[in-house]
Amino acid sequence: MTKIFTNDIKKVDLVVLGAGPAGVAAANVASKEGAEVVIIDENSSAGGQIYRAPPNEFQPQNSFKSDEFREGEKQRNILKNSNVKALFKHRVWSVSSDLVVSTVGPNGLSSWHARSLIIANGALERIIPFPGWTIPGVIGLAASTILLKSQYVLPGQSTVVAGCGPLLIAVANGIIKSGGKVSAIIDLNSKSDWIKAFPRLLSRPDQLFKGMSWFANIMKAGIKLYGGHAVTNTKQVDNVLRISIAPINSAGSILDSKNQKIVEGDCLAIGHGLFPSTEITRLLKAKHIYDPLKGGWVPLIDDDFRSSIPGVYIAGDATGISGAFSAVQKGRIAGMAAVRDLNVMSSQKYKAKIKSELIILKKNENFGKAAVRLMKFRPELIQTITSETIVCRCEDVFRSEIDEAIESGARDLNQLKAWTRCGMGPCQGRTCSEAIEAILASKVGSRELAGQWTGRTPLRPVPIEQIIGKYTYEDIPIPENAPL
Amino acid sequence: MEKFDVAVVGGGVMGCSTVLHLSRNQMRTIIIDSGALCREASGTNAGTLTLNMTRAALIPYAIKGWELWNNTEKWLCGGVGTRKVNGLSLAFTEEEEELLFKRIEARQAMGAPIKFISGRKAQLLEPGLNNSVRSAAWCNKDGFTIAYLTGHAFRRALKQENVSVREYSKVNKIEIEKNYFKIIFENNEHLKAKRIVLAGGVWLEEMLNWLNVKIKIKCLINQLIITERMPPVMKTVLSIANGLLSLKQFDNGTVLIGGGWQGIGDKKLGGVESIPENLIGNIRLACHVIPKLRYGRMIRVWLGLEAETADALPIIGKIPGISNAYVIGSVHSGYASGPYMGWLLSQLIMEQEPEMPLFDPNRLINK
Amino acid sequence: MFNFNKKTIFKYWGGKKSKQSLRVAGNRVVRQAFTTLTIDGCEIKAPVGEILAVTLFVNGKLTLKYSSRIKEPRGFFCLMGSCQECLVIVDGIILPACQVFVQEGTIVKTGINK
Repeated sequence: MTKIFTNDIKKVDLVVLGAGPAGVAAANVASKEGAEVVIIDENSSAGGQIYRAPPNEFQPQNSFKSDEFREGEKQRNILKNSNVKALFKHRVWSVSSDLVVSTVGPNGLSSWHARSLIIANGALERIIPFPGWTIPGVIGLAASTILLKSQYVLPGQSTVVAGCGPLLIAVANGIIKSGGKVSAIIDLNSKSDWIKAFPRLLSRPDQLFKGMSWFANIMKAGIKLYGGHAVTNTKQVDNVLRISIAPINSAGSILDSKNQKIVEGDCLAIGHGLFPSTEITRLLKAKHIYDPLKGGWVPLIDDDFRSSIPGVYIAGDATGISGAFSAVQKGRIAGMAAVRDLNVMSSQKYKAKIKSELIILKKNENFGKAAVRLMKFRPELIQTITSETIVCRCEDVFRSEIDEAIESGARDLNQLKAWTRCGMGPCQGRTCSEAIEAILASKVGSRELAGQWTGRTPLRPVPIEQIIGKYTYEDIPIPENAPL
Repeated sequence: MEKFDVAVVGGGVMGCSTVLHLSRNQMRTIIIDSGALCREASGTNAGTLTLNMTRAALIPYAIKGWELWNNTEKWLCGGVGTRKVNGLSLAFTEEEEELLFKRIEARQAMGAPIKFISGRKAQLLEPGLNNSVRSAAWCNKDGFTIAYLTGHAFRRALKQENVSVREYSKVNKIEIEKNYFKIIFENNEHLKAKRIVLAGGVWLEEMLNWLNVKIKIKCLINQLIITERMPPVMKTVLSIANGLLSLKQFDNGTVLIGGGWQGIGDKKLGGVESIPENLIGNIRLACHVIPKLRYGRMIRVWLGLEAETADALPIIGKIPGISNAYVIGSVHSGYASGPYMGWLLSQLIMEQEPEMPLFDPNRLINK
Repeated sequence: MFNFNKKTIFKYWGGKKSKQSLRVAGNRVVRQAFTTLTIDGCEIKAPVGEILAVTLFVNGKLTLKYSSRIKEPRGFFCLMGSCQECLVIVDGIILPACQVFVQEGTIVKTGINK
């Protein structure tokens, strides 16, 4: 048969999925110890989301280069100068139970058989729907950072920035720095939530200082800040988005829905926190636990970041949201654990080396914990999902249909899917899972009882053109005929 | 302890159809499943109602099943999206054409309305076909359902007929008492039933073992691939002469590719993952048949478990050596004929002469 | 459709709905090279390195497709290749615009499922 894969399926010591700060750190440290390492990422270069590189053809002026740009360049250079084989623009569509990683890349399909696998695929952004969230011009906070940092484009002439977490302040500041206008900031967190976070944020004074300078920029620009508020509705009138906001309590419950205020802009950048991406770990049937203080569902791991699947380690935000600074240490520890388990590194060396990593990790994790608390999911925020609100964007499934299915007896997520088609579209539930899991959990009692969607390949949609390659009819390995 | 006239263990299309007919005859019935109704083979199959791919011996049953699936308003609450369309089984080579002749002959002999037509006529019926098609078997009693809707539909119908539905309850064993069967669950709860029907699909071997009856049941791991919504690229149900492709496009534009290509899995873990050569081979075959498929994207691959006996024919009837015990399953492409098979077994249970011959499990004991 | 030459259509798009000013100005970022692609029949110039979803956005195309059942207009949402809302046809194949870099001669069609 015509070869399917452009390479012969090779066995490599370590495959790292994701070239963000955690993946790069893991790959580098393992490679230094002598392991053969392949790192795979769908972007054009390393950096993940936080250090995502602008295209080579875009030249930012020196004064315009951000700290993240510089840090990203540093990491990209370290990777370039290492022995790690980096596969960029490669999309992983399958990881088999015996750790064969299949990718679609610029030259077609390829496959890598890993002895050890480190999953460092980071996080996704949570969004709790509200009427009007599907209007073009309503985009994620993460999308806004991609626009600003790696495409140097403003999200709008006058953007309303909403949601929660440090990303809120980062996006608002990023817009100002790029010469744009922020019409208002709508923060789920109140002043007291930020004050509560302060002590932990002190563990990284440099970052705290940076955050405060961002905040100062926002104040200087005279941007109205609505603390303890949520977006409840968005309507489009001509080219303007009219956004209703209401005060909420700490559980996310809407207070005083009769006196909602309206803010306007031509873009609404909104995101309700980050949660670990469990696509690959669910596919591999790893064990997960639900921990709201880690962002939600996380794979069950031991102190050395081993998952419940032998040979599979998790690093970075995929272990639980804790930010880019913790990611590096987590990556290094996971990378070292992998080479130790492969006997490429001795146990003594391992024990010695991780001591210092753990100290730095603890400090960075503290900072990260404050960040994740600011992004914590507020269960009652699902009140903004009215009956007429679309929850599953791919399949246009309304809240009313989901409620009806639960009423008539659907009590787990996969049943809900069969009865409403929610989660059956091309995004396979990535966008709506947080909302739908929360809705079901509010009826069946807990997120654990609601469950998770069964993971299947492909991890992302694969163009059929790319999967079939060039072939003739005779090439197809037709199995034994069906019985007469 | 509750006592039922009939307890059906296994909530797929076989079990659900059987218990539905029984309950309509005033029997006090319960259906039990370790998960939710129709979520295994009955909910994960391709939903094809084709006669082209049904085994010749089962054609008369499949025709009856096709009629039932096309009349769900009469017996099932809410439909399963049945579509009646033309079915074409295709030949691209001389060998395939020969095979096609044989298959058409065998099926025509059993009453299937299948005709041999030229490649050109096939293209008139299905404009999206690859130009290289030589000939085809055309059946106008063809079509498909949306398999994952089956559970919801049966659930409503069963509730309406006051059938007790006990889902998410795993049965550990069945004890034979003097006048009844004692069904014991994993959590040690139990219930009594005068009669039992084992309808456990790929788990029938284990179930029959509870009663000390030994029949080997093979577990096939069938691969299915679905695309995202695409513009219309086809309007019939397609297969290949050798029976190894099933291809259809639903109203919502998604295209389902099947055909029984095998994946990796077992009864305990379920369908685990696909074999890359089989995944790519299956899709290549589909693209050869409908070239425009290449403009879409595949978004999900899953694996459905299917039961098969040693002679690839069903086991439906009395369990040998045990009174008031029955078995139904292993029908091979059984989704299409399921509602009719359930009807036949219900006739037997109600001590009537089944309309068509059943399939004596005795032939397979210890084989 | 229109009898205007392609430059005029570009200007038409470049009118009220254009968001080209959203590209951060040259005093902060220099875009070094440009390429031409066709979007819905119109020739559009875009900087090499730009993501197709962004090119569509700054040229005023906020609506990229229509949703599956209720045919609501949809545009990009996550820009990370996750949400699959920015689906457009690129040289015949359905792809998320946020995962495509602009290239010379690419033919793009928006409006799937209208």
